[in-house]
Amino acid sequence: MKGSIASRLVIMFAVAALATFSLIGAALYGVLERELTRHQDEDLNTNLQNLRYSIERVGTADRWPRVQAKMDTLTPSDGRVRFWVLSDDPRFQYGKGLDQIERISQEPDGRGTISLPPQEEAMRTLSQRIGPLDERPAVRLIVGVDVAPFAHTLRAFLVALTLLSLTAMLLVMLLGYWIARIGLQPLQQLSAEAQAMRPKTLSQRLQLEKLPVELSDLAVAFNGALGRLEDAYQQLEGFNADVAHELRTPLTNLIGGTQVALSRPRSAPEFQEALQSNLEELERLRSIINDMLFLARADQGEAATGLTEACVAQEVEMTIEFFAPLLDETGTTVGVEGELQAKATMNVALFRRALSNLLQNAIEHSAPGVRLVVNVVRQAGVIWIRVSNPGSTIADMHLPRLFDRFYRVDASRHDAGEHHGHGLGLAIVKAVANMHGGGVAATSSDGVTTIAFSVLAAGHRSH
Amino acid sequence: MKLLIVEDEPKTAEYLQKGLSEQGCAVDVAHNGVDGLHFALTHDYDVIVLDAMLPGLDGFSLLRELRLAKQTPVIMLTARDRVEDRVRGLQDGADDYLVKPFSFLELLARLQALARRGRSQEPVQLKIANLQIDLIARKAWRGNARIELTAKEFALLAVLARRQGEILSKTAIAELVWDMNFDSNTNVVEVAIKRLRAKIDASFAPKLLHTIRGMGYVMELRDEEVSA
Repeated sequence: MKGSIASRLVIMFAVAALATFSLIGAALYGVLERELTRHQDEDLNTNLQNLRYSIERVGTADRWPRVQAKMDTLTPSDGRVRFWVLSDDPRFQYGKGLDQIERISQEPDGRGTISLPPQEEAMRTLSQRIGPLDERPAVRLIVGVDVAPFAHTLRAFLVALTLLSLTAMLLVMLLGYWIARIGLQPLQQLSAEAQAMRPKTLSQRLQLEKLPVELSDLAVAFNGALGRLEDAYQQLEGFNADVAHELRTPLTNLIGGTQVALSRPRSAPEFQEALQSNLEELERLRSIINDMLFLARADQGEAATGLTEACVAQEVEMTIEFFAPLLDETGTTVGVEGELQAKATMNVALFRRALSNLLQNAIEHSAPGVRLVVNVVRQAGVIWIRVSNPGSTIADMHLPRLFDRFYRVDASRHDAGEHHGHGLGLAIVKAVANMHGGGVAATSSDGVTTIAFSVLAAGHRSH
Repeated sequence: MKLLIVEDEPKTAEYLQKGLSEQGCAVDVAHNGVDGLHFALTHDYDVIVLDAMLPGLDGFSLLRELRLAKQTPVIMLTARDRVEDRVRGLQDGADDYLVKPFSFLELLARLQALARRGRSQEPVQLKIANLQIDLIARKAWRGNARIELTAKEFALLAVLARRQGEILSKTAIAELVWDMNFDSNTNVVEVAIKRLRAKIDASFAPKLLHTIRGMGYVMELRDEEVSA
């Protein structure tokens, strides 16, 4: 989501303020309206009771003018309160526009409203029937109160309330913006700090002491990511240098060897020799490129295809058989131990490739005549294939990095001899393990080095 | 063997034509897909070597067009080692594929395998100079001397002898003898060849098992050995 946090906060503050004020305003308006209505009703009721008392006791026409006089007195000059008496006998009537009233106000006793032409607002009315007495027939007394002043008050209140709410909301927005700015200051500092970071200063970390609690978690996570990035960056730099180095050596040989060969007239056998040497270097380049492509595909998460269910120990035996000439030559023996019945879902070619890299590695790093051990262990849905060889112990610091491309425990042992491969063997083991939903592990102690990889056991699906 | 090479990269096309001609194949070359398709439809080839990336008509489309009319075996050459490419190529009717950079020897081996396909039964006896191999009894003699071989040594000998005159790379040998289907950096094959050579060549003449430096091994009777 785009946009600044400050403006989002301000908008949220404004919405919250608007909601609050609207609620309070509505409540106040409601209370005021009810109070005003009650006041009107009381007014109506008092007047009605007062007059009913007078009318009830008048039974003759000659006493009616006194009631009329009383009603005249009670009617204020602004016509805010008005009285009507409806009767079949014209002698006992009161009020203006009676015929109209009679038409409008048909309902029996109780509250009602009537609107008379000159007034805009309707009048609230209260009417009551008063029983006959002597010569006076039953009459209906109607008291009306003009609601215009009340409505006016309510309107004025509403306008004031709205204006106040809007002003307050504006104020809240301004204050909110200011608060947000102050509140977000640590974030700006953090971002300035992060912006100042450069690839060259990757070891730099965010300062944690000055940060509020909410941000320190983020900064800690960010620092963690930076740490991992630094490692990866360094590895990548080293990796690029290694690739360049690995490619540079054969290329130098190719260019130099060809130039030397062409610089003088040569005999056919000499050219043949030069071409053969070139071919060896080219095969090395091809092998590096193919392995790098393989690793790149594995890095992109390509899973192994062509999976079949196979007995692990059987595959191990097949691979050991491949090494038989080499093992015979050095007098080395290989024992296969562990769960010999365990089955795994695997691409057989890839599995053999990984295992042959491990065996090659074990043979290279042990003295002639020793016994190597391949241990097959089932563990939590995966099957580990552990290849152990007696040999010099590898320092702990190297163990996790053994599977890195071109990583060499002994940096000086960079002789890249014909049979040393090119430092991708264990990286390929790791790639194969990953492609099979497994992993790798390395331990080294008391003169025994064990390097292992795992594949999913048969019947277990990778997630 | 009559071959068609459809390849737009001039250097690749040139060395393929030269190399395959020298192996005794009759080779036609087309430098784009349209010409390639025309050649493939108007002539009868034993195998077609087809580059996937071509100007005009790409390899996959060419293959589809071709398959509407003919079932000539096709080896696809692709620069991208992606599973989809392989699947696509094989679905469209390619018989094999090779990923660039590929080695000439590998191409040769695949071509011979395709051409061998459907051929009559393998011989049961092989004879190269005074080397005799009985493939059924799994026994070998040099002249009258019986040569004791382990099972794998015999398998190695048989693989080389069956393809006499054909250079086999270490990778190809590892695949054919041990079913190790990958480029390995180990010297197992070298050691195995050394041991086989000690048994069949060391105390006998002529020498039959030759190392082609940088490429692999070949079993053949060479002229200089006869005259020597």
